[in-house]
Amino acid sequence: MNASIIGQMAVSGALMGLVYALIAYGFQLTYATSKSINFGQGELVMVSAFFSLTLTNLGLPYWAMIPGGLLFGALMGLVVERAGVRLALEQRSEGWILLTIIIGLFFFSAAENIWGRDDRPFPTPISADPIRVLGVDITRLEISVAVGVLGIMGLIELFKRRTLLGKAFEAVSADRDAAELMGISATRTVMLSYGLSGAVAALAGILVSPITTVGPTMASALILKAFSVAVVAGLDSGFGVVLIGMFLGALESLSSFYLGSGWREAPGLVLLILALAVRPTGVFGKAVIRKV
Amino acid sequence: MLKQTAFGTLVLAALGLHAGDTVKIALTGPYSGGSAPMGTSTRDGSKLAIAEINAAGGIQVGAKRMKIEIIERDDEAKNERGALIAQELAAMGDLSGVIGTVNTGVCMAGDKHLQEQGITKIICPAAGSASMTQWANKPDKPGVKENSIFRFAAYDGIQAAMVVEEAINRKFKKVAVVFDSTNYGVSGRDDMLDQIKKQGNKLEVVAQEKFNIGDKDMTAQLLRAKSVGAEAILIWAIGPELAAVSNGAAKIGMKSSLIGGWTLSMSNYIDNAGKNGNGTLMPQTFIEEPITPKAKAFIDGFHKAYKVDRMPSAVAAAQGYDAVYIFAAAVKQAGSTDTHKIKEALEDLKEPVKGVIATWNHPYTKWDPADVATHEAFRREQVVMGMVQDGRVVFGNESDKARLIKEATGLTPAKAKTKAKAKTK
Repeated sequence: MNASIIGQMAVSGALMGLVYALIAYGFQLTYATSKSINFGQGELVMVSAFFSLTLTNLGLPYWAMIPGGLLFGALMGLVVERAGVRLALEQRSEGWILLTIIIGLFFFSAAENIWGRDDRPFPTPISADPIRVLGVDITRLEISVAVGVLGIMGLIELFKRRTLLGKAFEAVSADRDAAELMGISATRTVMLSYGLSGAVAALAGILVSPITTVGPTMASALILKAFSVAVVAGLDSGFGVVLIGMFLGALESLSSFYLGSGWREAPGLVLLILALAVRPTGVFGKAVIRKV
Repeated sequence: MLKQTAFGTLVLAALGLHAGDTVKIALTGPYSGGSAPMGTSTRDGSKLAIAEINAAGGIQVGAKRMKIEIIERDDEAKNERGALIAQELAAMGDLSGVIGTVNTGVCMAGDKHLQEQGITKIICPAAGSASMTQWANKPDKPGVKENSIFRFAAYDGIQAAMVVEEAINRKFKKVAVVFDSTNYGVSGRDDMLDQIKKQGNKLEVVAQEKFNIGDKDMTAQLLRAKSVGAEAILIWAIGPELAAVSNGAAKIGMKSSLIGGWTLSMSNYIDNAGKNGNGTLMPQTFIEEPITPKAKAFIDGFHKAYKVDRMPSAVAAAQGYDAVYIFAAAVKQAGSTDTHKIKEALEDLKEPVKGVIATWNHPYTKWDPADVATHEAFRREQVVMGMVQDGRVVFGNESDKARLIKEATGLTPAKAKTKAKAKTK
């Protein structure tokens, strides 16, 4: 096969992979502060996308719709935190696993009832016409995905490093008990992380919907891959998820080209098993010494 | 409209008319859920026809004129609901017939109850081949001797033949056959490959590509097809994935035409593909263009009655409409509301029935378990090629349009136009 086809497959795969990375980043945000993950993150992506579609249908222009969608995602993130995570964490139980799955199922049913089961197009002013770069067709839509993903991740990382609130975030991530002794409210910080995580999920939904359409099941495929990315990269490396996300995306699309579309997911899953066997903390993860 | 009919039924009931004074027809289909656009369009088309017949005084049954009474059941595209509804209908006793059903599975689950009681049913508007072949001879067991199940739909065999024919007519040489991995997709591929052979191997199949339900990214399949120089994509799948193919092709700058089954006219393809859907071709039994007075009256009537400016599924609506007129003609000929007599009349309709799709001349014949076509109304000539253009389905070939106008009015389009102009003056 000629090089331009390989290039094409790798590039469009890697760009889709950035969406996996963004959802995986949402996992990381909450894991950092509370060592918990929202297993209903995919449904958060989906309801936020539907909500943004509704805003668009109400006549809001694209650029005004985005903050609305992000705000909705953040609110939903807070709902998940309040209803599914906080009590479990206070009781030091693992109840959040089941609770976040259940809240996700609830979002799913709600979406089916409010917006219906059909897949719907998501209008966007960004053109889907291809531009040719070095023999590879890329659409502006795909570029917007890359810009959006890297942009919001950069902003959140800056916020964590440069602002007082962000420093509190980092402090709670590093040592919850010590941070509390210093007067930082861990509960508030966990809330913040769920809010951010929800906003990130909403952006992922807004970015990917014009390409994949919006429907209640839109996130089921995305979420599994995002999870693989998070695990393979490690749950505390933002830089890692971007790299692994792009790698996994490219690997997927190349394998669907060479092995047939039925084998699309296979290499990613093999990678996941390997990572868990060889490096359970993730390729970019820090090994934690657990004091017993 | 819906309310009016329901109200009408109530009034009839209140007046104390006993069952013998109406012709009871059951309309069934998926009126909610994913297949709803087809189900509701069929129902609404049927109701429009029934309202027209009732407004004209009803059907002449023997010495009396009888109005049609509607029994409506939503099967939700669920097989088990379909079976329950069929059992209920089969037990009614005074039911004249059933019109409806979109999903093959629902037919398979329910129709046996109707067939056992000999209740006449016209399957409309869709349902895969299996819904009829289940009654026909099979290698291991003979088919049924008497069959009360009829079908009113352009079955997959006709459609596949037309798709291949269209690709040949458009002078394509190399084609890619693309399909989804469901039963529907795979049998569609088999039908198309079969037809390519039958029509003299004029098309070279350079690629066969498959995808799964729910796939959004078709780049790999399309790039393979593009790299071997496919000029057209012959496709068998359903709405959302079809749209993903069109959008993917546009992305990699692939200009090949998409030609495939009638699902390409469903709103979830047209809306999701947007401008990338333009030029897509698919067999249609009815195009929502007012080219004949009959079609115009039907389209206007439908738009007005249901307050829409586009039928959710024009094909389904027109088929629902014509099925009622064919059924009514059978009732008239039988001179009875007895479903068994109506079945016999249907198998030998003497008078042509003027429908919106075509004039139906003896659409069905006596059931022969060796030949399903005896209970299939559609032939090649009642199906035309439709094309997607800016969110609507229009005629794909001007020749089809001209032929239909000629058949309806006995005039060529040019003359029809001048006549229409003269009228407006």
